[in-house]
Amino acid sequence: MEFKGTAASAGIGIGSVVVVEEPVLEYVSSTVEDTAAEAERLGAAIENYIEYTNEQAAVMRESVGEKEAEILIGHVVMISDPYMKGEMVKLIEGGMCAEDALVQICDMFATMFEATGDELTMQRATDVRDVKTGVLAELLNKRPVDMGTLPLGSIVVTHDLTPSMTAGIRPGAVEAVITETGGLTSHSAILARAMEIPAVLSIAGVCHRLADGDQVIVDGSTGVVTVDPTEEQLEAAREAQAAFIAERAELVKFIGCRSVTASGEQVELFANIGKPEDAAQAMERDAEGIGLFRTEFLFMDSTSMPTEDQQFEAYKKAALICKNKPLIIRTLDIGGDKEIEYMGLEREDNPFMGFRAIRYCLAREDVYRTQLRALLRASAFGEIRIMVPLVTCVDELTAVKALVKRYMQEFDQEGVAYNPDIQIGVMVETPAAAVIADLLAEEADFFSIGTNDLTGYTMCADRGNDKVRYLYSTCNPAVLRSIRNVISAGNAAGIQVGMCGESAADPMLVPLWIAFGLGEYSVSATSVLATRKAISLWTKDEACALAEKVMQLKTATEVYDALQEAAR
Amino acid sequence: MFSEKVTLVNPQGFHMRPASLLVGEVGKYDATVTIVRNGAEIPGNSLMAIMAAGIKCGEEIEIRAEGAQEAEAGRAVVDFIAAGMGD
Repeated sequence: MEFKGTAASAGIGIGSVVVVEEPVLEYVSSTVEDTAAEAERLGAAIENYIEYTNEQAAVMRESVGEKEAEILIGHVVMISDPYMKGEMVKLIEGGMCAEDALVQICDMFATMFEATGDELTMQRATDVRDVKTGVLAELLNKRPVDMGTLPLGSIVVTHDLTPSMTAGIRPGAVEAVITETGGLTSHSAILARAMEIPAVLSIAGVCHRLADGDQVIVDGSTGVVTVDPTEEQLEAAREAQAAFIAERAELVKFIGCRSVTASGEQVELFANIGKPEDAAQAMERDAEGIGLFRTEFLFMDSTSMPTEDQQFEAYKKAALICKNKPLIIRTLDIGGDKEIEYMGLEREDNPFMGFRAIRYCLAREDVYRTQLRALLRASAFGEIRIMVPLVTCVDELTAVKALVKRYMQEFDQEGVAYNPDIQIGVMVETPAAAVIADLLAEEADFFSIGTNDLTGYTMCADRGNDKVRYLYSTCNPAVLRSIRNVISAGNAAGIQVGMCGESAADPMLVPLWIAFGLGEYSVSATSVLATRKAISLWTKDEACALAEKVMQLKTATEVYDALQEAAR
Repeated sequence: MFSEKVTLVNPQGFHMRPASLLVGEVGKYDATVTIVRNGAEIPGNSLMAIMAAGIKCGEEIEIRAEGAQEAEAGRAVVDFIAAGMGD
């Protein structure tokens, strides 16, 4: 039997299935007669939770680090509070079931923490809720699967690979990941690639179609999952796995090399990151800079608006890791599709065409001021560049530049250091920006083409929607013409043009980017070396000859076939 | 009963670390320690209740202690707060 899904992270995994389901913590409220027994049940659940969490912390300390383990230790400290437990027991003595008592008291404390107005305490409300969920899981006997204790050779099968699940994964123990949802650019895919774990995503109902212990082969390069393989299939898979590992090892040769075409044109090869610490991995993979640092994590991981100091520390940390290599930081790119209570974003019918990213930031100058000031302060510690997302008209860029200038004047008065020549560029990801690239190029210090959104907005197709996904391809002539136009406009104006979408790392598309004159490629850290190799395989003339032929084709399928045939 | 007023001097107030250190201090003695702030009584052995009160730098609070070691307990807690709670 075979399943076919989205090939999201290359490599071959061979092993036995472990279905990982996030437990549903639902229960029916009841009143209790034997209140002493109920209090004892709560006490036992709390003890189990403490024991389990301490074990988790020990694993986390080994596999991730002291700081992450401290978070779990904090949970133990909280639930060990005798007064809090006493309050729960009081409710139980009044006839309430343990679950209700737990939820009520934890929610009460979380709400009180949030009401203190003290930044540090408000952040702890999240921890109180984590404690609630953890103890509730014990009461209901539905402990989450601990990814840290999966045996060697596990194939994780799950609905969606969330960041919190990933935290516990020991590198080496998990052979591959299969999920029910998610595309190439989903969290699951990004996490799997970051950990170099083969992954096949978006196989409907796979959690029920596979069972614990099933033997499978997962091919993350083709998207095929083979169930109960024959001995011959296993043999072939082992060979393919070895070949893949050898290929990956081959890429090591490109460490320390310049990024040049076969005819000697040098380009810049950067990496995309989502957290300051990811910059370290990018540097290990020999990235020449960071082409996209997404700042959303600062806002998503918080229960209140991150302060200027908190943001400054994060940007400074990344800048120090990059030493003096370029670090392009994208300002807040968020809208009504994300639920962040404190931001006051309302649900919208069409959040991707709504009040988001630069539109939100310009309307909420208090929020943007905090971020831009933090970026300016951090610019004293490295080669930070500011990138503005979702630009559709020149006014937005001039507005940002005016704000930056004003905050520079504030710092002059405050005597705070910053880089007065900081570059401000545009993330070109809307058809509007692509069409007026020549106008934007007069105002921008650089461009970076966000191919994921540019493809989606140009084709008017959501990559997450199965029914229209066939339209979502960078091979569409409309998208390729757009990209070519942006690169020519930027080059004509003498500004740097980069690309920070998935397409920058696609070896099939690389000759087109060479022909168009792309100056900077920003790819995931794990794709840096493969992209350097892909660039090295083409001379400028060969790439131009291919581009000339491809750009005359009328359909995405024709383009795809032609590029596949020419691929090296 | 021990009773004495003290002003919070550490800039961050009672966040998790100082609050848990204070609870640790209280636990060393055979006495019941209560923090009184604006008339509200906060149990001195409860990290959660102390954090939830959100007492800030510059606020004056009263420390009460009752029990066999009330004098020692009260003194230790007041001195700990006055010294900035390790921050």
